[in-house]
Amino acid sequence: MSDKQTKKEKMQILKELREQYADSVAKTQAHLKEQQSARRLLKKAMKTGPMTVPEIAEAVNLPSDEVLWHIVAMKKYDLVTEVGQDGEYYKYALPVKEKKS
Amino acid sequence: MATNKIKVDALVVGGGISGMQTALDLADQGYQVALVEKEASIGGKMIALSKVFPTLDCCSCITTPKMSAVAHQENITLLTYCEVDHIKQNGKGFIVGATNKPRYVDMDLCTGCRQCEYVCPVDLKNPFDNNLGAIRAIRVPFSTAVPQKVVLDIDNCILCGKCQTACAVDAIDFTQQPEEIMIETDSILLATGFEVTPKDAKKEYGNGKLLNVIDGLDMERLLAPTGPYGHVLRPSDGKEPDSIAYVQCAGSRDETLGVEYCSRVCCMYAIKQAMLLSGALPLADITIYYMDIRAFGKGYEQFYQNAKAMGIQFIKGKVAKIKEDENQNPVFRVEMVDEGGSVVEHTHDLAVLSVGMLPSFDPTPIFNVPNDTDGFIMTPDQNFSASLTMIPGIFAAGAATGPMDIVDSIMTAGSAASAASAYIKSQQNGKEESSSKIADLQKESQHA
Ligand SMILES: Cc1cc2nc3c(=O)[nH]c(=O)nc-3n(C[C@H](O)[C@H](O)[C@H](O)COP(=O)(O)OP(=O)(O)OC[C@H]3O[C@@H](n4cnc5c(N)ncnc54)[C@H](O)[C@@H]3O)c2cc1C
Ligand code: SF4
Ligand code: SF4
Repeated sequence: MSDKQTKKEKMQILKELREQYADSVAKTQAHLKEQQSARRLLKKAMKTGPMTVPEIAEAVNLPSDEVLWHIVAMKKYDLVTEVGQDGEYYKYALPVKEKKS
Repeated sequence: MATNKIKVDALVVGGGISGMQTALDLADQGYQVALVEKEASIGGKMIALSKVFPTLDCCSCITTPKMSAVAHQENITLLTYCEVDHIKQNGKGFIVGATNKPRYVDMDLCTGCRQCEYVCPVDLKNPFDNNLGAIRAIRVPFSTAVPQKVVLDIDNCILCGKCQTACAVDAIDFTQQPEEIMIETDSILLATGFEVTPKDAKKEYGNGKLLNVIDGLDMERLLAPTGPYGHVLRPSDGKEPDSIAYVQCAGSRDETLGVEYCSRVCCMYAIKQAMLLSGALPLADITIYYMDIRAFGKGYEQFYQNAKAMGIQFIKGKVAKIKEDENQNPVFRVEMVDEGGSVVEHTHDLAVLSVGMLPSFDPTPIFNVPNDTDGFIMTPDQNFSASLTMIPGIFAAGAATGPMDIVDSIMTAGSAASAASAYIKSQQNGKEESSSKIADLQKESQHA
């Protein structure tokens, strides 16, 4: 990195960038809010045990394709694990030692 | 804007299999080569494929060594996340202006440890998985990316700074700006590859809106060991499909789309995928709806016959329409050619469109290189020197010149490298050689 920035300088740089990118930051924040509220619902539903995507979708009242996307995103970063199969669907569960997201 | 200058014998544009092979062939002969790739990693389409026809070699296993060979070849200067903006004739050679886009990461410091990626809160659709899977706003583009460094997507970032705090080596730098690079070169080789037919091209097939109608590249990702779901599942609900159907020529040989040519790879990749599917899902029914199968290459016809012997159903029929039922199953309306043209409806769990190949990059505005009527780069001397373009000193290779498979891409890369080598030598020895051939062709085409 170009000469080490101090913590304070880094915060100042980020603050200026947030102003410069105000529109995209706002759009991404809205996306993140939706993501977080969906994840909260998913995690709550999945506390009852391993579930398939259609089961989760029904429990949280979200479209099953969206649920699938959240599950694969969480699986990628070790926030969900796949635990066997139930007929044509795989079952997913929260990791035993639940990590914070 | 800071400007770096480099001087090379050859500039290769595009880091897919064709560009990588071209760069290696030249560098191995001792030429200095710059390779410019617009994405954050080299590898092109090939690194995203599952296995290759007709050998069924694992794609990642054969592409990754090529990618590292490029990175380690000392005669190659690799410029990723970089694009050419303008070129200027410089005597017999060129001066090329390119821009390195900011990754917001110091390439010398980043170790690719992905700590930053793990703490980033923003999940996005992953372009490497054709948007089927997810990836963070800061990420290593994919597991075997070269270079193995992160890139920060500033347009989809909340600028929270968590990544910066997590990085142990302080590699993240939000002050990075675009960097201009001036490349002085004797020759240019275009290997900018192809795109596939857009999903919304055919309204008969759902306009890209039906979740369980995917395309060939989506299926490559579903079949790849590093794929988004870890299994072949359908996107609407994660169901393992029992019945999968292919629609051939979905976007090729289609006058309504202005694509009159055959894309040359779709028959073979559909057969390949069908074989891989019957391995992954042994109980599934796999059907290929086709008008004719074109298995033209070495070993390809045998490959097709093997697929038939494996129980894959080939139905000669024209898929007129795909709609979906209440369970989002694709319902095909098919005109059965072998049954006197009777029209039937077949329901499947998942439909795959064997989409065609389209040109991806128009080189005319920047490189002044004309395109052919099909939109791919014009290579006027198809019979004897297929890598020559209409501009002396500029050569083309791979799918940038027309639809082709990997075998042919590698062959054209070798041919482009040897034509460029002859050109560079003639320029550096002060002789005019291959350029006069182009001059003849240019004259001919002007009179035609
Ligand atoms: C679904 C599917 C399955 C396939 N399966 C097989 C198979 O099994 N076997 C087989 O032989 N073939 C297969 N193919 C064909 C194979 O993908 C191509 O032959 C091969 O990828 C062509 O390589 P390329 O380097 O010419 O183009 P690409 O792979 O498209 O690479 C072009 C590169 O150039 C870069 N680029 C583009 N424009 C610019 C620019 N302006 N500046 C800088 N960089 C730029 C791109 O980012 C990319 O990295 C398949 C194709 C498809 C669609
Ligand atoms: S930026 Fe830092 S944390 Fe991120 S991959 Fe590079 S070294 Fe690791
Ligand atoms: S600053 Fe951006 S990339 Fe970094 S952690 Fe925050 S959202 Fe992710």
